[in-house]
Parts: sequence; structure tokens; C-alpha cells
Amino acid sequence: MDLSKKYGDLEVVKGVSLSIDAGEFVCLVGKSGCGKTTLLSLLSGLEKPTRGRVILNGKEINGASEDELALFRRENVGFIFQSFNLIPTLAAWENVALPLFPLKMTNEERHLRAMELLGKMDLGHRIKHLPSALSGGEKQRVAIARALINNPKIIFADEPTGNLDSSTGEAIMGILNKLHRDEGVAILMVTHEVELAKAANRLIRMKDGEVVS
Amino acid sequence: MNLRYMTKELYYQKRRTLMSIFGLSTGIALLIVLNSLSLAYRQAAHVPLKEIGADITVQRSGDVPKDLAGAVFPCSAVTIRKEEVEKIQKLPGVRGIGTGLLLWVFDPNRAWIVLGIEKENSIGPSLLRSSVTEGRFLEDGKPEALVEQAYARQFGIRLNDAISVADKKFPVVGFVDASRAAKIAIANVYLPLKEAEDLAASSKGLQSVSPYEPGDVNLLFIKADQEKITDLASEMKGILGNKATVATPDSFLKLLGSLFALSDKFTLAASLIAIIIAVLIAFKTMAGNIAERAREIGVLKAVGWTNRNVVYQLMLESVIQCFIAGILGLLIALVASFGLSFMKVNIPIPWEMSPTPHFLPGGGDQIFKTLRLPVHVPWNLAFFAVLLSIIIGGLTGGLLGRHISKIKPSEVLRHE
Repeated sequence: MDLSKKYGDLEVVKGVSLSIDAGEFVCLVGKSGCGKTTLLSLLSGLEKPTRGRVILNGKEINGASEDELALFRRENVGFIFQSFNLIPTLAAWENVALPLFPLKMTNEERHLRAMELLGKMDLGHRIKHLPSALSGGEKQRVAIARALINNPKIIFADEPTGNLDSSTGEAIMGILNKLHRDEGVAILMVTHEVELAKAANRLIRMKDGEVVS
Repeated sequence: MNLRYMTKELYYQKRRTLMSIFGLSTGIALLIVLNSLSLAYRQAAHVPLKEIGADITVQRSGDVPKDLAGAVFPCSAVTIRKEEVEKIQKLPGVRGIGTGLLLWVFDPNRAWIVLGIEKENSIGPSLLRSSVTEGRFLEDGKPEALVEQAYARQFGIRLNDAISVADKKFPVVGFVDASRAAKIAIANVYLPLKEAEDLAASSKGLQSVSPYEPGDVNLLFIKADQEKITDLASEMKGILGNKATVATPDSFLKLLGSLFALSDKFTLAASLIAIIIAVLIAFKTMAGNIAERAREIGVLKAVGWTNRNVVYQLMLESVIQCFIAGILGLLIALVASFGLSFMKVNIPIPWEMSPTPHFLPGGGDQIFKTLRLPVHVPWNLAFFAVLLSIIIGGLTGGLLGRHISKIKPSEVLRHE
């Protein structure tokens, strides 16, 4: 509510107020540099606002420390990035299990959970491959599986199809739609392609740091 | 901390991992080798004295004999009084004492270097017992002689011959091989101490230069507590006066002249420089590696890793790398030490400690104790080096981890 973010004198997000319901699929659209990614970072707890409050899953996260925010993200939030952000030295299943590494559980448990999700993403045959051996679409599907491993309430997706060709992008959107529809996961997706945003329940337009519609 | 993640990170980042490991292992190897060399020189410096069963030898220098006839004392070893020996014996830290009486005997046709020895003492020249090559060692109460093998060969002396030393006859009961014996207080003829005392007491020439009574000696061989050797040396000088010559392993170490032998401080400084350079190489490589992984760290934090999780993970990587470097450094040092152990070292024996008249053949020659440098890696040094490498790993990983964990994921994860 009333979220603002300033970098020096530059105000990137200006008094934005919005709410996302559980299980809702919201798309945040706008031109490059309009503040979409910054707003996503503020809402997901990756960034602290200069002014305003963020309430996520009933908890105000503004005053939380870095580590508290990390733990909060671990339990409630999943991320999908445009450039996949997979760890290049880890196999697909290990990348999926990455959020579970700090948790006290056996490697077998992590492996089983990661396998289950990779199976859902039709990547059961690629579990031991390094990211360098995967196609762009496969990488993004691994990233989606990683975002789901902690059963998040909400997934923040920042231009998830930005680095993919159109057909692969459509396939990824299909997966996100299915997740939203079948699993009831809330999704906030940032994109500059209005076409992709049509799949969402709600569309929020941003311009120069403000929500315009 | 996740071992799988750590292993894969080190495995797939081979170039950086190997650079870091080789950098630090070189430093660790240098540290071990430098200290092993220093230790080896220290041990080598003990050998000349150890061969004669002592930790300290004591002599007193005096005047040059006026007339080289009959029995005289070499100018580097004149009378040490019986009372002075007793005082030294009572010093705390002295564990045992051996005595000897070294004489130069100038007979009309031959010059002898004679050493009077105690027959039963594990300290001092009675250790010659093990160097007898032919015949037998001296027996109690008998006026008999042992002759140095090469000297006997040179002058045609045979077993059971009677040799005349200062007009007194001694049957030759055995030969000793001086090349196998200690290089300190080398003589041509070895007599029972009592016989040498009689020769000294009855020599007018000797008495005129350095008054002597039976019971006095001119060589002391002392076994002492290792940690008290330096203090005892100065106390003995206090008892015997400023003409006393007290030889300790430290004095041989100085004679060796090597940088390693000269100073513990040099070894310490060289070790420190080696380690600092190695740490800097390791630190720089790891810092480069971690800086390159800023985005990865951002991902970890975004998916819920706390700062502590990140720091521990980086520390684990760093500690394992440095541990491997420590083990590799130790292996390199073991190989290098093995190679260095073939190096020979010549320890000069001062003329004063084995005086020979200069006008005799070989009299002015420098005597050396030649031995293989006893280079080895003591287990406590090995343990320390590996522990040090682990500590370096922990500190490096901890410092770099703390620094990098402060990055904001949102800053490094913004799409290109």
C-alpha cells in the first residue's frame, strides 16, 4: 500500500497501492523502465520500499531483517526470472532442490521432491543435466519447478518468456496457466508483451512508476 | 551447508580451484620445507657433540708451551682443577660428566697426541669402545694403549707391540678407527686416564706452563638438560673464567653459517612471507571466484538462503580447498624434504677442540664432520601446517562470504 521506491533522487515507484488475492493471476505490464521489476521486487520482499507497506500472506514484511525476509521467501514465495538464473554447476534436479539445501532433510527427500516436480514439467529425462546442456525452454521449466518446490502461496515471475522464442514462450505460459488453474497458486507476472498478459485474471498497467489502470 | 553443492562448485570451477589450491599449497610447502631445513641444521649442529655423548664440551685455553719436549698441554686445553669440575657437576641441569686429558708428547723420534680416557663412562671419549677395529678396549688398572689405526699403519705399529710414550712403555692392545669416531679430541694414542695423569704430573715442561695435579683434567664432556644448555654454558664460563671455551650445539650452528642455521628469525620471517604470499594468491583467486558468483549468491538469497547459509556454504568451499592445499603442500614438502635429505653438510670442528701441532702433517688442516642433512618433516609441523591451511580457509571464506552475502538479490538479478 502506497509503495514508493527512490534510488537517490530518482523515484522509480510512486505511491503504488494494489492487492492480489489468493490464487489470482495478475499481470503487470508496461514499457521498459517503467518500474515493473522494482515493484515486483518490493512486493516479493527482495527490496525494501522507501515508503509504504507490503503485506504478504497476512504478514507485514517491511520491518523484517534480511534473514527474516529470506526465511519468509523460502516458505511463501517462488521466483521465475527472465534469464532463468540456474546455478551452472548444479544438475537440473539440484537446481530445483536449491531452496531445500539449507533445510534439515536428507538428500534423498530433496531428490524425490525435485524429481516429482521435474516429472510434472516433462523433464524426467533431463534430471542429471547441467543447465548448459538444456534448451531455453527446458531451463525455464527447471526454474518453474524450483519456484514450486517450497509449495509457495505466490509466484513472482519477471518476464518469464523474455529470453524464449514465441512457441517456447507459449509453452511456458501454458505451464503457468495450468499451475494457476490446477494448483491454485497466485501469480504476479511482469511482462511488456500485452499479448501474454491476456491469460491473466487481471491486468495492471504501469507508466513512469505509477499504476495507470 | 551442502556438500554436494560444494563438491560440484569446486569440480566445475577447476581452473580457479586449482589455482587457489596450488597457490596455497606452494606456500604451505615452503613453510614446511623452510622449518624442516632449519630444524635439520639444528639437529646437524648437535651431531659433533652427540657423537662424543655430550651436549657441552668445556676447555680452557692457556699459554703456548715454551719448550716442545716431553708431555705438554695444547694451548687450547690447559688445566681444569678438580674443584672446578666438582662445581660444574653440581650445577642444576647437569645430568652427567665425562673427563679427558689431552696431551702432546714430543719424544726425541716421534710426536704423539695422547688422550687419557675414562674406561667406563657413556659420556666422553670412552665411547671409542665401539670404534675398536682390532684387539680390545682398555681394561681396568692396566698401563696399556690403543692406537689410531691410520697412525699405526703409517708408523708400522702392530698389535701387542710396546710403544714408548714420554719414556714409559705401553703395550698396544687394540686399534681404533678415528674416521668412525667423534671428531672432537682426536688423538693418536689413547691411554687410561690414570696413565695420562701420571704423564702430565711428571712433566716439568707442562707444570711450568699450567700447574697440574692428578685428578685435574683439561677436557670436560657434559650431558645436560636440553633447555638449560645456554644457561649452563654461561655459568660454566663464570666458574672457569674468561679463557674458558664452552662448545654447545648453538656454537656449531653458528659455524655452519647457513641462513637457516644463523637465525630462527630468518626462518620465521621467510615462513611468514611464504604464507602471506600464498594467502594473498588464495584470497585473490577466491575473491575473484566469489565476485563472479554474485548473481548466483543473489539467486540463493532470493530462494530463501539466509546470509548465514551463504557464508557457511562459502566457508565450507574455502576450508575444503585450503585443506586440500594443506595436504598437497605437505606432500610436496615431504618429497622436497626427502630430496634435501641427500644434501651433505660439513660442520667445521674448531682446531681448539681437536688440537694438532701445526708442524705435524695435516696439523693445520680444518677438520670437518660431514653428514647427510637430517631433513625430515616432524608430525607436529605437518599437523600445524594443515591446521593453518584450514584456518586460512575458514578466515578467507568467512571474510569473503560475509562481504558477498551483503549484496541485494534485486540488484544482481535484474534481467539484462
